[in-house]
Amino acid sequence: MTFLSASAAPASANPVSVVPTVAPAASAMVELRAVTKRYGQFEALHRIDLSIAKGEFVTLLGPSGSGKTTLLNLIAGMIMPSSGQIVIDGRDATGLPTNQRGLGMVFQNYALMPHMTVFENIAFPLQVRGLARSEIKRKVTDVLDLIQLGHVAGRRPRELSGGQQQRVSLARCIVYNPALILMDEPLGALDKKLREQMQLEIKRLHAELGITMLYVTHDQDEALTMSDRIVLMNGGRIEQEGPPDTLYFKPETVFSAEFIGSSNLIPGEVEAVENGTVTLRTALGRFPVPAPDRPVRAGEPAVLLVRPENMVLTDRPGPTGVTGRIEDSILLGGVVRHFLRCADGTTVIVQELNQPGRAGARRDDTVRAAWSVEHGRLLPPPPAR
Amino acid sequence: MTSSSLSLDHSSAHPSAQSSGATSGLGPWSAILLLAPLTLLMLGILLYPLGLTVWTSLYDGQLSVRAYGELATSTLFLKVLRNTIEIAVTGTLVSLVFGYPVALHLAAQPPRRRTACLIMVMLPFWTSILVKSFALVAVFGNQGLLNQLLGYLSGGQVNLPMMFNRVGVVLGMINFLLPFMILSILGSLLALDRRLVLAAETMGAGALRIFWKVILPLSMPGVVAGVLINVTLSIGMYITPALLGGRQDMMVANLVDFYTRQTLDWPAASATAVVLLAISGLLVAMLGRVRGGGLPGGAA
Repeated sequence: MTFLSASAAPASANPVSVVPTVAPAASAMVELRAVTKRYGQFEALHRIDLSIAKGEFVTLLGPSGSGKTTLLNLIAGMIMPSSGQIVIDGRDATGLPTNQRGLGMVFQNYALMPHMTVFENIAFPLQVRGLARSEIKRKVTDVLDLIQLGHVAGRRPRELSGGQQQRVSLARCIVYNPALILMDEPLGALDKKLREQMQLEIKRLHAELGITMLYVTHDQDEALTMSDRIVLMNGGRIEQEGPPDTLYFKPETVFSAEFIGSSNLIPGEVEAVENGTVTLRTALGRFPVPAPDRPVRAGEPAVLLVRPENMVLTDRPGPTGVTGRIEDSILLGGVVRHFLRCADGTTVIVQELNQPGRAGARRDDTVRAAWSVEHGRLLPPPPAR
Repeated sequence: MTSSSLSLDHSSAHPSAQSSGATSGLGPWSAILLLAPLTLLMLGILLYPLGLTVWTSLYDGQLSVRAYGELATSTLFLKVLRNTIEIAVTGTLVSLVFGYPVALHLAAQPPRRRTACLIMVMLPFWTSILVKSFALVAVFGNQGLLNQLLGYLSGGQVNLPMMFNRVGVVLGMINFLLPFMILSILGSLLALDRRLVLAAETMGAGALRIFWKVILPLSMPGVVAGVLINVTLSIGMYITPALLGGRQDMMVANLVDFYTRQTLDWPAASATAVVLLAISGLLVAMLGRVRGGGLPGGAA
């Protein structure tokens, strides 16, 4: 958030200036200023402000139709914004054609040239840049070693596995050392195990090469694993942005809480606010919740968020807690997840660590699930639809 | 390039082979019954006359290849054969040069617009070749629209002879050939993954390089198919050279007509026809080796 306000200030103070010298901090690789994209009546992106620092790994996360791919394509120059400004590496790139933006892009379907060998594919961007033949050979060989695919240099892309193809397409990007690499769900077509392996590989390349990366995915785990910062998109707007930790532990909206991680959401009405604690009246009882940063008034609706792993099954009485019957318990390896059905029909999820010899609650037991007051988080109610 | 287009072929062409399983429950007799009417028809109107032609070319009181030997030494035949190949190649190349940009343009259109444009491409395709030939005379003839305009502009000084000569034949030919060329190339261009072009763009490639290094090589199967279809079609052309060509532009099919109706030399006519058939057959066989035969409608 600090990024946002710091970068937006000079733009609004002097909106016409687009020359590099007035671009804000030199550390910004990409700057989006009030970028809007409309398709007829439909607004795919609404006044997006976003700044990506040099060397940062930023993930655009969101459900399909949230505008994340549109945003990526705008930065790549494949589509033009309806209004707003795009600055790449201190240069106004709003109207610049794709091939002059100096980017790299990795596609979900790899987009390797089927009529070229692996070597020729990786050499292509170097030929575009007019490098000498010997120089090209050296660079391609180096980057093939980096991705450990030197032995397939002479093969055609279709002779490779999906994972190998994606590594080649990564190599084709990093070989010309672009300042910014865009990735559009690059691991979407791979199976789970390979995907996790590639996530680590991309992270390693990012750490080694220091290239700024903008990554699009709808997979929250991928976003949490890889990013320095996550930009969560919803309906053409930025719902929330911040480091993975912040998005997970301090979601600001019901949408954020639901999209990242699993969550118990208990709707209610604010009864009182005193000494930094809000009392929320819900169908399951009255609960104390730490007051959020935003002002809250008695009488307004609100939603209480408690993450399942912050819930414990306990007999001890306390200020928080709901009672319910265990409808189902599922084992997820290291953890166990209980689904409690409360009197009013709400389902509450409790996640416990799985220990050998765990006595554990059983199905159909009636139990009490409680949480520490500071683990509760008060969210504004979701917008009415 | 051929080797890559062939390898393309193998990975994608096979699903169609499975559909033959649908009739497998009917047994061999029903297959024979179902195929019999067409087989008989083809025997009667294609294979029998064809056999007769081959026979006539070889039988002259006794079996001999005299007719072929005479063809090989006949200046007329050799000149006509050269004409034929020249005209076919010229027409094909011109239609490639004109057709490729059109196909490229069509491929870039949104689907609805492309359909509308395709109808315009197909219009001559659906029009009788006879009608088209006369229409061309009306436009390009000595008293045609174009020459009247030129005459008006130059004060009667310029009159380009564009009909009843080589130019006329090639003009009529490309009018007939272009749809085949365009459709064939368009098929290849539409199969090309647009993201390859986007990828090349992000890597900094300009439009010209993208065309030479990405679009053209990947559309080669369509180009080769289009060229082969065009050569095959033009080599047996009869009406166009007869109506739009001059005395010097006789093609092989017209020579067959000449032998059968003017000189009544049936063995020579038959041998000429067999040679033409062999050339076309060779081209069609080559076409079969190019991916999918090219034409979306399978009109080849």
